[in-house]
Amino acid sequence: MDNLNFLLQGFQIVFSLQNLAATLLGCILGLIIGAMPGIGSLAGCALLLPLTYKFNPTTAIIMLGGLYYSNMYGGAFSAILFNIPGDTPAIMTTLDGYPMATKKKRPGQALSISNISSFVGGLIGMVILTFTGPVLANVGLSFGPVEMTALLLFAMTSIGWLVGENPVKGLMLTLFGMLVASMGMDTLSGSPRYDFGNVYLLGGVPFTPFVIGLVGFSQVIMLMEQRNIAPQLVADKLTLRDSMLSKNEAKRLVMPSIRGGLLGTFVGVLPGAGATAASIMSYSAQKYFKSEEPLGTGAVEGIAACESANNGAAAGAFAPLLALGIPGSGTGAVLLGGLMLWGLNPGPLLFKNSPDFAWGLIASLFLANFIALTVSWGVIPFLIKILSVPTKLLIPCITVVCIVGSYSTSNSMYGVIVMFISGILGYIMQKFDYSYAPLLLAFVLSPMLESNMRKAFIISRGSVRIFLEKPISLAFIIAIACIALFPIVRYFLIKAGLMKKKTAK
Amino acid sequence: MKKGIIFIVSLLAIAMVGPLFAQVAFLPSQNIEWIVTSSPGGGSDIYTRIIADIMTRMDLVNAKTILVNNKTDGGGEVGRLSVSRVAAGKQADHTLLTFNSGDLMPMVANTANRIENFTPIAIMAVDKQLLYIGEKSKYKTFAEVITAVKSGANVVIAGSKGDDVATYNLLLKELGFTETQLAFITNNATSDAITSILGGHVDLVMSKPAAADQYVQAGKLTPVLALSKIRFTGNLASAPTLSEIGPYNDVEYPVWRGVVGPKAMSPAAAKYWSCVFKTVSESQAWKVDYIEKFKLQPFYLNNEDAKKYMTEYQYNYLKSIGK
Repeated sequence: MDNLNFLLQGFQIVFSLQNLAATLLGCILGLIIGAMPGIGSLAGCALLLPLTYKFNPTTAIIMLGGLYYSNMYGGAFSAILFNIPGDTPAIMTTLDGYPMATKKKRPGQALSISNISSFVGGLIGMVILTFTGPVLANVGLSFGPVEMTALLLFAMTSIGWLVGENPVKGLMLTLFGMLVASMGMDTLSGSPRYDFGNVYLLGGVPFTPFVIGLVGFSQVIMLMEQRNIAPQLVADKLTLRDSMLSKNEAKRLVMPSIRGGLLGTFVGVLPGAGATAASIMSYSAQKYFKSEEPLGTGAVEGIAACESANNGAAAGAFAPLLALGIPGSGTGAVLLGGLMLWGLNPGPLLFKNSPDFAWGLIASLFLANFIALTVSWGVIPFLIKILSVPTKLLIPCITVVCIVGSYSTSNSMYGVIVMFISGILGYIMQKFDYSYAPLLLAFVLSPMLESNMRKAFIISRGSVRIFLEKPISLAFIIAIACIALFPIVRYFLIKAGLMKKKTAK
Repeated sequence: MKKGIIFIVSLLAIAMVGPLFAQVAFLPSQNIEWIVTSSPGGGSDIYTRIIADIMTRMDLVNAKTILVNNKTDGGGEVGRLSVSRVAAGKQADHTLLTFNSGDLMPMVANTANRIENFTPIAIMAVDKQLLYIGEKSKYKTFAEVITAVKSGANVVIAGSKGDDVATYNLLLKELGFTETQLAFITNNATSDAITSILGGHVDLVMSKPAAADQYVQAGKLTPVLALSKIRFTGNLASAPTLSEIGPYNDVEYPVWRGVVGPKAMSPAAAKYWSCVFKTVSESQAWKVDYIEKFKLQPFYLNNEDAKKYMTEYQYNYLKSIGK
């Protein structure tokens, strides 16, 4: 109950004119930055951080925190409307969001679902943060290299169903994703890998331009093929009322959102895993639960699972940041730097030494959640109108935004070149019916898997037994074994008459 | 007529000699671009912005703006390469690059770039590391660690890439252990290493004072070995040096923080910047807001001494990695 009191005090701090303005500004900036492909919360925070150098620390963190958080709302906008993720956590949203908007011609509903599930996920994350922040941070700490390896292996088993109908293609893409992710400087040994003597490649393939290109720019190239086709949606059908969800849909999104929010918050707390990993894992986990439409074709559950997870992760990432001074992700590291710049010392004593600051921030996140929901709902009609813009006008606009986004990740043309190359690659992949999901999954998860696995082996001096000795890791290994063996077990069970054979639809 | 000729000749002479004098007095005449090869919020970034702020407040840059530019491509190599190649002229005199020992090591190990392609301007501070235990560690002192390793236990130290690895190798050599007995896990940043020890996954963590400070204050980390020739002060004073624990020499691998400019920077500009950095290093703001707060050791070297220091450091490092 103490925490509740602190939270109420935090709200008092937030409801000052300066801090309210900061929250509002942060939210709106976050929505815009999130919607723009390529520019995500990391770039946004990094760009704005120097400007906040002289601000009052509480106001500054409220603004940046609001930006980071509402970025997760905005990322879904361009993911749903253009199949271009506004930022990397929205990658999985494209898989169901875009089909729902275009093939099923219900963009308004897709955006509504994304907004509501973002709200639910974020709310869950913040409630958990409020009442169990420090405890949760400690739980996150107990996930060391061994446990993370087991968790990531478990997450990667989900590739099994993401590959779709052709396992060979899916495996090829996964391995290709791993190869591309391995390019660059290997931290553990300090030696360069696959840099081909090029200074730029020493840093590896930058993630955001690669994703923007693979998913987004390839989409632009596809649009170029279709540029003379009339816009798909007629403008007069698109009002806010038409974007309302049916009761059935609203019911369907509840459970995935809650699951996604819980999972996302937890993943956000884990060291090294952020909103992107959270949305991937949540989407993969959704497979094991019922969804009325198959995932990947515009299912309500698909959108709900990803969006709630990435908002939950954004909230969860604040737990280790505030309670222990440990950044959970790249953006967290920028915020941490900001804390130091403003003269605060992030660490275990932050809650004790600067409670105003910490609780002010948490309270502002609640507020940011409401503001972001309201604003993003309000703009749905405008967003939908974008779809009725002629394709040949859209193409150059989106291209420019992609270029700017890729440039901004490192202030150089390297990102842009990567984007173009991966765009062409993505286009070829789409033409030959290769799905980009396994490639991206491998690209995101395999660096984490590799570094944790190697660290685990250093700790255990090469012995595999350590994965079975640590309880958390053992739990995941058992889960992997269950999933892997289930098809075989089911076969025998059916033969023995203990289980009815499912007839294929 | 004669007077006229003498007058014209002396005018010409002054006109020819004049610019020489003008060169000596360099003053910034355009915005200054300061490149940092790591991301915003990190140690080097904070170092750069604090100095830039002090310079602007103390009006040392002729009221020009300092633009801090984070160039992280290629692990920072691209930024360093681009600075080294800036052509002679006004731009070269107005370009600065934050350069630490942790930047030099990967640069010379993985690329053909060398310190000779830069104009060293100053060294501002040195940092040294300590080894810490966490709340869950089995060992309470470093002497216990040595005894445990000798009787067959495997001990793991977590640290960051770059400088920490070099210090670890030195420690290993001095103690006479193998990598299997006393292993080292390289992380991307010290905060990751601290995370792993807080969770009890490793036995020791190597860190510079600044990164671990909050945890020491909160009691979650305890220093057990000072990787330095003399003990640290304040809440780190309880950590002995290696020679105090056993028949060993002290191990230290100082991490220096400096600033360089492009090779084509004019000597007058280099001297000017060197003086500016000297003024910063003597200022109260630097001492309190940076050195004391981040627990470094003040260590100023001007441009000529810095050049000697960095060149020697590079030579020793190249030798140690066999180049």
